[in-house]
Amino acid sequence: MSKPMLQSPLHHLGLAKQAVKPDGRHGVWANEVPLAGYIALRGDATSAAFVDAVSKTLGLALPTQPCGLAQAADAKIAWLSPDEWLLVCARDKVPVTIAALQAALVGVRSQVVDNSGGYTQVLLTGANAREVLAHCTVYDIDHLDAGRVVGTTFGKSAVILHRQDRGFCLIFRRSFAEYIWRFMVRAATPYGFGVAARDDADATARETV
Amino acid sequence: MTQGSNRLKIATSRINFERPLSITFDGKSYPAYAGDTLASALLGSGVRMLGRSFKYGRPRGIIGAGPEEPNALIQLEQGAQTVPNLKATQVEVYSGLKARRTTGWPSLNVDAKSIGGRFSRFMPAGFYYKTFKYPAALWPRYEHIIRHAAGYGSAPLETDPDLYDHKHHHVQVLVVGGGASGLVAALTAGQAGLRVLLLDEQNELGGWLLSQPNASIGGKTAPAWLKAIAAELESLPNVSILTRTSAFALHDMNAIQAVEQLQDHLPLAHRSHDQPRQRLHRIRADRIILASGAIERPLVYGNNDLPGIFTASAMTTYLNRYSVACGHNVLLMTSNDHVYQGAIDLARAGVRVTLADTRAQINATLEQRAKVAGIQLYKGYGIAQANGRRGVHSAQLVKLDAADNRVTGTGPLVSCDAIASSGGLSPTVHLYCHDGGRPVWDEAKLAYIAPALGRESASIFVAGSACGEFGLAAALQQSRSVANAAAASLGKTAVDTPLDLSSDEPVATPARRIFRVPDGKPEGHGAKAFVDYQNDVAVSDIQLAVRENYKSIEHIKRYTALGFGTDQGKLSNVNGFAIAADALGKHISEVGTTTYRPAYSPVTFGTLAGAHEGDTFEPKRYTAMHPAHVARGALFEPVGQWLRPWYFPKAGEDMHAAVQRECRATRRSVGMMDASTLGKIDIRGKDVREFLNRVYANAWTNLAPGKCRYGLMLDENGMVFDDGVTSCIADDHFVMTTTTGGAGRVMTWLEKWHQTEWPELDVYMTSVTDHWATAAVVGPNSRKVLQKICGDIDLSADAFKFMDWREGTVAGVPARVFRISFSGELAFEVNVDATYGHHVWEALMDAGREFDITPYGTESMHVLRAEKGFIIVGQDTDGSMTPFDLDMGWAVGMKKPYSFIGKRSFKRSDTARSDRKQLVGLLTDDPKEVLREGAQIIESNNTSPPVKMLGHVTSSYFSPELGRSIAMAVVRDGIARKKPEGQQAGRDVVYAWAGGKAVRAKIVSYVFVDPKGERQNV
Repeated sequence: MSKPMLQSPLHHLGLAKQAVKPDGRHGVWANEVPLAGYIALRGDATSAAFVDAVSKTLGLALPTQPCGLAQAADAKIAWLSPDEWLLVCARDKVPVTIAALQAALVGVRSQVVDNSGGYTQVLLTGANAREVLAHCTVYDIDHLDAGRVVGTTFGKSAVILHRQDRGFCLIFRRSFAEYIWRFMVRAATPYGFGVAARDDADATARETV
Repeated sequence: MTQGSNRLKIATSRINFERPLSITFDGKSYPAYAGDTLASALLGSGVRMLGRSFKYGRPRGIIGAGPEEPNALIQLEQGAQTVPNLKATQVEVYSGLKARRTTGWPSLNVDAKSIGGRFSRFMPAGFYYKTFKYPAALWPRYEHIIRHAAGYGSAPLETDPDLYDHKHHHVQVLVVGGGASGLVAALTAGQAGLRVLLLDEQNELGGWLLSQPNASIGGKTAPAWLKAIAAELESLPNVSILTRTSAFALHDMNAIQAVEQLQDHLPLAHRSHDQPRQRLHRIRADRIILASGAIERPLVYGNNDLPGIFTASAMTTYLNRYSVACGHNVLLMTSNDHVYQGAIDLARAGVRVTLADTRAQINATLEQRAKVAGIQLYKGYGIAQANGRRGVHSAQLVKLDAADNRVTGTGPLVSCDAIASSGGLSPTVHLYCHDGGRPVWDEAKLAYIAPALGRESASIFVAGSACGEFGLAAALQQSRSVANAAAASLGKTAVDTPLDLSSDEPVATPARRIFRVPDGKPEGHGAKAFVDYQNDVAVSDIQLAVRENYKSIEHIKRYTALGFGTDQGKLSNVNGFAIAADALGKHISEVGTTTYRPAYSPVTFGTLAGAHEGDTFEPKRYTAMHPAHVARGALFEPVGQWLRPWYFPKAGEDMHAAVQRECRATRRSVGMMDASTLGKIDIRGKDVREFLNRVYANAWTNLAPGKCRYGLMLDENGMVFDDGVTSCIADDHFVMTTTTGGAGRVMTWLEKWHQTEWPELDVYMTSVTDHWATAAVVGPNSRKVLQKICGDIDLSADAFKFMDWREGTVAGVPARVFRISFSGELAFEVNVDATYGHHVWEALMDAGREFDITPYGTESMHVLRAEKGFIIVGQDTDGSMTPFDLDMGWAVGMKKPYSFIGKRSFKRSDTARSDRKQLVGLLTDDPKEVLREGAQIIESNNTSPPVKMLGHVTSSYFSPELGRSIAMAVVRDGIARKKPEGQQAGRDVVYAWAGGKAVRAKIVSYVFVDPKGERQNV
């Protein structure tokens, strides 16, 4: 029996092979940031017990303001709705994180669910990254400050969106991944589009663990 | 007139004589220059007749110079890139442009319809309605001929090769229109520090100023002023400008749609395939300033549709902007002052100008200027009738009464090669009215105007001639102040930077209130006087409509066709309203206007579709195993947005053969299906059992961890709307599955009930549909297959029973394995993190090789489940079926302490009656006969109407297991019919009628295979 092979939602597009180091040739660059861990978190934002338990366990303040985004080096928490968050962390940290959250939340009304198979992220950069989003989403990108996250439309689908580095991070569901990628590439075509080599070289290695 | 003889060299025009081009129209080459439109190039070459009219086939030429053009509809380019019905007045020329006329059949000079046109007296309004009514049976033949004669250009038959996209904007101030007023408004808002977007339809900013280079603003000539203000706007980083962008729709909440022509002005060979041809801009603006300008309306008189007849503003535009004289000997007619500057410009350019002013008194300064320019002026005269065949050659003037619009005497016959008229300006109020605003009749200005602050509460402001400010200086001042008002409403202080907006116009003399110029004859006796050119609506047609008792202007429009078509009555509407008002004996303000609806100008389907076509038309959802199915040659079918394997044909197999093989393999050995698309909802909280009790019809209080249960979900009316298996993970933790298509609806349903009705229940739910990939391993050998790659779960029949689930490791991956079955066979559904989905699928295929494991698709799934009588919600149910109608009362827990959704409705008399349509099985007498799904169930094979409909076939297949056809159907009183008493009374025999054939069938139990359910328990 072969070793378990992880396949990210955009695995079949072979993006790694097309990737080059971004330069001025194209106005838009993107690539999948595959195989992160995703944990859905639900609870009462007005409950100190819930907020404290989560914040302490994660070492990251749970954003309770609408569209709040808490970011650390190895994890981020995105506010999705008044009682719903998405925690993104390293994939190998998911079991221990879920266990720790559930232990801290015993007796506190809440839900912690592994959704790691259900999502992926794309990092969108380049001089025209903002234009691409203006083509694909209805959200006013100029209002998307750093530290803010929104769920918005993307063509006929939806993404969770925030600024990251000099570009944007798009988080979306596995089953819609190919549609979203194609829609984005199409919108980017007038500006020139390239698949960007990822900084995290080890991610490629992890993909075939 | 010889070709090219109409070209002048006006130094201030926008024509670049350094860049000559060649274009082709109707197969003939014409010279043109950069800056030309197709219309100006053709007029410059002396082309006057461009088509034939819609109804009468009368010769027609160019009338206008912009979107108001009713006649000059052309077909641009050929093949896949052809565009029908463009207005020649809006097509920018490019090198190699090819266009042709859209009317005139068989040829422009001999038009079939023009023969009918000679009998136009007998083709009044409503002609087609009245004539082709009888006999009704002949209508298809009439229609064929009428359709051939009607219409203009042809739609392309090939796939559109061009790219289109959409772009969203959020701005504080949107200014529509880049004429003088729009520029001042945008500058003012920009100086106030607001995020401003300025749209203009044309290839360069300036609007009417481009046609009036001799106007002056603040001591500058129009071109100098335009250059300066454009530069100033460009220096503001908060102001964006889009030219060649037409705002065509205004919707609620200040949403504007505009189309930008990005490449239409480029030679075909120079267009980039990576760039969109057109872009749809969707704009949300805090404030909208409509500086959409005004369109001059012509006066209405006999034969006013001859080629060579224009609006006065169009003639001025052709002269000053495009360096084209529309004629060498022109006759102008006016009711107002606006034409004078253009008339003087024409005369100065060497054109012989005769001007008939319908007013007896005019401004002395203007009169003086006209006389100095050498214009022959007739005060108090109008044109009774133009003369000519394929172009105007003279016109008969008449003397008008100073007050009433009647003829008091004859006037000279003026020879001329072109005529232009002005009946005043009609503000472009379309956008203002798209979301329900109505224009207001201003009797002093003789115009329907959009009030400057009329919709301040809706954040819509109007600037310049769109609100009736027709004087240049007044319009600019008003634009400045309305933009300041818009800025103030956004909390900005007024901009007080000095801006000299003075002009040198003389004081205006009031316009004459005249629409139809009288010819001294009763209407209908003189030459036809057209109101709407595109639809051949004459004054007499409107009067006839009123005589035939049409009183609402909306009805008059529909009876006469006034204002329909690609120009949407931009020249004709106000004249039509005024003429209808006269006929009705009402004031025009009482008649009102027809409704202004989007789009302002035609928009291509490509633009509306944008990226929503081809690969990106609709989201296609894929499972993690999709590559495995592709590799095995699956054909796919869309289920909701998902693409599911339909069947896996082997070489030479059709669907029937593939499905028979897949089903046999599954029942005899082992098959495998991708069940990842089923909706999955993780539900957690200490009240989860109570929550499930309320949302499902059956009971969940006692389901132990490690166990699964099938549930029916009902709506408030007690009707089944979803079903699925829900499993107890822990006392406070369940995982629900839903139908593939119902996943989103169920999730919303659960949240709605929790959030609005039962917030006190401690429960949260999260969709995990995309997280879990599911492989259903099905068949007698499924246990053996799974055993090979799952060492940590005891799969034995005693340890792992039907409707149990276990946690373990499959193919080295953490998995939840559910022993549930949608086929009636021994089956295990293996759920893993979708990231491992493909890996686990391949591992199961490897493990099953020795058992000839067979992947199967949705078609075999349907057959297998129908053999067992398992329903598909949405196929065997249609939103009107209760669990009892489905004979599934066992899945209803009537004894639960708290009610459940739908329970109360079981007591409604209609829901409770026993003879509702009920789900039953059907077996045809002929085992080879597969009934058609949807076939009507009737009592006998006597199909002479009336025939009582008893129900219909919901599912029908050929069962490989039974070697015969099977069907499920809903039949009135079906459950009683299949009982012994029903059988004895012969009530179990029915007929299924479809395609003209009634097939005899017997009502039976819908469980056809393994009715005792032994196989799934092995």
